[in-house]
Amino acid sequence: MFIFNVLPPRDAFFETVWYLISNYQTFFLTGIFYTLMLSIIGTGGGFMIAFFFTIVRTRKIDRLRQSTITILLTKLSQGLINVYITIFRGTPMMVQAMIFYYGVSRLQLSFWTPIVAGFVVVILNTTAYISEVLRSGINGVDQGQLEASRSLGFSHGQSMRLVILPQAIRQSLPAIGNEFIINLKDTSVLSVIGVTEIFRATQLATSPNYRTTEGFFIAAILYLMMTLIASLFVNRFEQSSQRKEAMV
Amino acid sequence: MRKIVTLIILLTAIFTVSACSTDSGFDITSETEIVVGLEAAYAPFNWATPTENSFTVPIANQSGFYTDGFDVVMAQEIADALGLTLVIRAIEWDGLIPALLAGEIDLIIAGMSPTSERAQTVAFSDPYFQSEQVMVVRNDGDFANATSLNDFEGARIVAQLGTLQDDLIDQIPGVNHLDAVNDYATLVTSLLNNASDGFVAELPVAMGIVAANPSLSYITFADGDGFSVSAEDVTVSVALRQEDTALLSAINEALTAISTETRNGYMEAALSRQPQ
Repeated sequence: MFIFNVLPPRDAFFETVWYLISNYQTFFLTGIFYTLMLSIIGTGGGFMIAFFFTIVRTRKIDRLRQSTITILLTKLSQGLINVYITIFRGTPMMVQAMIFYYGVSRLQLSFWTPIVAGFVVVILNTTAYISEVLRSGINGVDQGQLEASRSLGFSHGQSMRLVILPQAIRQSLPAIGNEFIINLKDTSVLSVIGVTEIFRATQLATSPNYRTTEGFFIAAILYLMMTLIASLFVNRFEQSSQRKEAMV
Repeated sequence: MRKIVTLIILLTAIFTVSACSTDSGFDITSETEIVVGLEAAYAPFNWATPTENSFTVPIANQSGFYTDGFDVVMAQEIADALGLTLVIRAIEWDGLIPALLAGEIDLIIAGMSPTSERAQTVAFSDPYFQSEQVMVVRNDGDFANATSLNDFEGARIVAQLGTLQDDLIDQIPGVNHLDAVNDYATLVTSLLNNASDGFVAELPVAMGIVAANPSLSYITFADGDGFSVSAEDVTVSVALRQEDTALLSAINEALTAISTETRNGYMEAALSRQPQ
């Protein structure tokens, strides 16, 4: 394998690409690592929080049987969740990253680094989107199932967790997989606060040699490989869950 | 009900944000390390590299990354003079002053000019480098033979976002002032791909760019033909928090000990280490 130690001439596109890969592979590998971690933990964490949000959001108010305090608490938590979802779906992740990172930095917490802020922002953002995905998934499950499980003595939480959500999640899987693919690409906006994911790693690798086009050509291929592999997994997953459904 | 909830959340958010105050004095006698912030993307002042050499300092917030350049050498000199361990953090240009105010870093040594606008927010040391403002153009472009600002009438000129250079563009009569971009690599790409006719840069930066890109050259202006700049605009200084007055005088003292010849020597050495 030939390694370029000297920067190839400007018009030698592929030599320059190879120069960047061989000289800055630690940069690109770091970028891939953080992009993957942010997307996996962001989507996973967002899914888990969205799961609990959905249970709370679908809770019904029964003025005859519930105490005033229970009704008030339910309404308050549902209101908070709705405001949260509206804010996070209605503002760009880049803006959220700037506000969270610099806003919380003022508290001078030693653990509050760009990468920590990055994880928090991706999780919070994904929670809002997956909450909406799960809600539409629940709309696809027959209302009668909730009524039936309630009349069998399940609490609201139990019937959501054990009966409704497993079906809703199965229907929502393609959309959740899409959210993961979107996260793979959209974490690039975290470069604005200095998270060394693929985008910023590429900026750093091209900064002393000014070979932007070649550098971002590599970045594009890296992103494309990651999203292709991810969509392959999502499709496989979807098919196997459809087969399970057919067996039921 | 929903409106009240919204209001409560908004108020809590506003109070949380506004209640946070910053109080982070730097005590030279008790601190053991000094944290310097730079972009690591502004060669030859500072750039990132995966390989270590005797001039590089590891980037503290990114393992496996090192930074090299004129700023790094100067930061090391200052840290040595103060008897402190040098720690360098790489931060986006727009994030440098917020990070300084938030106490994440103690100094900015990033080729930053001490403009009066910035001086309202941060304190600046004496200049540690003085340079000329030049125009980088394509050799085969329409403006390769320009000698004064007047020759750039109608030219598409660009600069880095939030820099002195971006403000200077408006001094060119009849210029087409393009939207500023984020870093110098993008400026070079825009010029090479004919998306612009030139960009404004400091002389050492332009020298590094031209050395790496033989199809580009830079134009220096004779007195009166170039940009009119105030003395503090063509120099670069160390930025620090306004309350750190003891640190400021210690840094100025350290800078006095480094002669102009030594500094220019550091700059030439940095230019030769830049990959090209």
